[in-house]
Amino acid sequence: MLYERIKGGLRLAAMNPQAAQAGLRLGQNLADARAMLPEMTAREIDRPLLTAAFADFADWHSNASPLVAVLGDVSAFGDLVLDITGVAHLFGGEHAMLRTLLARLRALGYSVAGAIAPTIGAAWAVSHFARSQVVADTDLAQVLDALPVGALRLTPEQIAGLTQMGLTTLAPLRPRERKPLQARFGLSLLTRLDQAYGMLEERLTPRLPLAERYAERRFPDPIGLLDDVLMTTRDLAIQLGLRLEAEGLGAQAFHLFLYRVDHKVMTLSVNSARPSRDPDHIAKLFSHRAERLAGEYDAGFGIDMIRLAVSSVDKLDGTQLGAFATPDGTDDLAQLQDRMSSRLGAMAVLRTQFVATHIPERAARLVPAMVHAAGPKTEPGPDRVRPLRLLPVPEPIAINAEVPDGLPASMIWRRISYRITRASGPERLGAEWWRSGQRLQLVPPEPPRPAKPGETPRPPPHVPRLERFNPSAVTRDYYIAEDAMGRRFWIFREGLYHPDASPVWYLHGLFA
Amino acid sequence: MGTPDRQQRLAALRDAIADIERKPALAEARPLLQADGAGFPLPAGGLLQEVFTDERRHAGAALGFALGQARSLLTPSRPAVIYLQLAHEAQEMGLPYGPGLLSFGFDPAALVLVRVANMTELLWAAEEAIACRAVAAVVADIAGQHKLLDFTASRRLGLRSASAGASMLLLRYGTGREASAAHLRWRITPALSATRRFDALAPGAPRWQAQLEKGILDNQQTHWLLGWTHHGFIIRDAANRALFPAADAALSGPVPAPLAHRRPATA
Repeated sequence: MLYERIKGGLRLAAMNPQAAQAGLRLGQNLADARAMLPEMTAREIDRPLLTAAFADFADWHSNASPLVAVLGDVSAFGDLVLDITGVAHLFGGEHAMLRTLLARLRALGYSVAGAIAPTIGAAWAVSHFARSQVVADTDLAQVLDALPVGALRLTPEQIAGLTQMGLTTLAPLRPRERKPLQARFGLSLLTRLDQAYGMLEERLTPRLPLAERYAERRFPDPIGLLDDVLMTTRDLAIQLGLRLEAEGLGAQAFHLFLYRVDHKVMTLSVNSARPSRDPDHIAKLFSHRAERLAGEYDAGFGIDMIRLAVSSVDKLDGTQLGAFATPDGTDDLAQLQDRMSSRLGAMAVLRTQFVATHIPERAARLVPAMVHAAGPKTEPGPDRVRPLRLLPVPEPIAINAEVPDGLPASMIWRRISYRITRASGPERLGAEWWRSGQRLQLVPPEPPRPAKPGETPRPPPHVPRLERFNPSAVTRDYYIAEDAMGRRFWIFREGLYHPDASPVWYLHGLFA
Repeated sequence: MGTPDRQQRLAALRDAIADIERKPALAEARPLLQADGAGFPLPAGGLLQEVFTDERRHAGAALGFALGQARSLLTPSRPAVIYLQLAHEAQEMGLPYGPGLLSFGFDPAALVLVRVANMTELLWAAEEAIACRAVAAVVADIAGQHKLLDFTASRRLGLRSASAGASMLLLRYGTGREASAAHLRWRITPALSATRRFDALAPGAPRWQAQLEKGILDNQQTHWLLGWTHHGFIIRDAANRALFPAADAALSGPVPAPLAHRRPATA
């Protein structure tokens, strides 16, 4: 017996058949139920746990059909929906498939009801309100007509209203005038009705992305060792590679699904910088990726099916080895970057991308090497002297200058003082006012004229209160400073000298 | 004692051993890349080199020296240099900066930055990168002292780079030296920069004091004062200064313009 807090009361959310026989019903007050059945055990429902369990179930059932979804909106916990188009023959027909799927869930100790029907609505209705069966196209209407109105996935208010009207089964509901029904119960009733009878198409949103190209292998006995998994992956990659080669395709994303016997699915994904179908490369990527999660890998009681799927498929023509071609190494480099990205993470392997801006820390961006595209050249001119190393965050320093606005004479950085013998600068870099959150106010508003005698004073025009942008606050003056030992630093002063406040100095980079 | 033949063979073996002991670095290494007598003798690819500086604040100089070497190893078939850094040392040591690489004369497109979480990953990434045929050099920036980076690790890296032909440059900091199988070990100190033309007060092109602590390059020289031009290293040794009279900027030039009217020029 499970209860849930609804609108301040504790109400029953689920029960077992014994409780149902004792006359309890869903939505009943927990106190009433206790009075009727004192020996029952009640626990509070744990929605997140149930959702997670259903998600696991759904993923695991993708070993029966690639299109699996959880319908969470109507029933108390969620319903599993599988699109079995073109799949049933693998199980020896629809009847056998339904039996197999239900039997393997019952073997785990769940009470399950299921149905195969031409529409999602019909399958839901039959599995909830009739015995588990396969409904053929021809007798869809006949089976549905006998079911109660609750089988249409309606809200309790709609069901109550329909019952008040004397409509208990679907048979009398169907031929009724639709306009009054819509006026009274809303469009959703008609939608559900049409969906159940197949007049209106209903789509399911699959939990896992649909992969058109995949290779899979089932094991008679579950396997557990990571090495075995990786060896199988290699075999699957060879199979898949041959298929991709026949189609002249390569893929950039590879997903490995490991179906565990205890109804969990582990997913591993790796990416490749350029389309590939080389089984060795794919297998290597997965083995590096697997090394990274060594601690998290848990085969449970074993893995009974492995599927390797590809996505981001792109055209990849066969390459010909030229007799006079000089290897330029780009392929090797791309593969190296893939391997490093799959083991160290995509954000660990980076390349520099230039951005057209004069703000130093923004001018060069580090982007993952896998997505790095040689875009338009926005390189800054080489006449700008920039440090070889840039500190990600400028560090504050203490500076002594002989005169304000003069070259710095000494500085203290990381508690060590440096005597600066040579320096050049300043290179003044203004802030990018167009990026500022504040708006630049170009024209100050006119002051209101004094009202002439005999004239009603006009209200002053509404001017939104805008902070005047203060360009001097974020202007930086950069200096190249060299100390007596020959160390060269890139330092800057933020802001300008001002009688009231002294500007702050920072060290931003180190020169060679 | 033995036959003369035997003694002869022993002597030959002793000579060979002495030869190897005298220059262990080059026993398995290749000839120099550039030994035309005028320039700085640049080591060829396939060497494990340690670049030591005494202090971490010299990180810029060490990186400049390493990238200067790596640049000369870039070829069309080896278009990439891999830079490895522990992710948590980025703030202390700074990250290679694209515009800075440009103004130094190194193509930023050739540099791949790899930020690793720990030493194990760094060593793995280094070995993978060295083995790649498209990599000219691997620059590993290691600020701290690590137990994992011992003789065995350096031997592995050395053998790998010797067999693959890519150079490995380990940037190390501090004055302590451990046993390592590096072919060459440098000690780099920044030197006062070159004077900039028309401005005696401004720092100019970088200079390094390079000391070869281990290994032998062609002419047995171990100390250099190196300068930098866009063509590569040049020797600014006092002894060799006469060879490059034109490379030095004129000092007795015009009076520097006021600071405010000046824009930084290329060194």
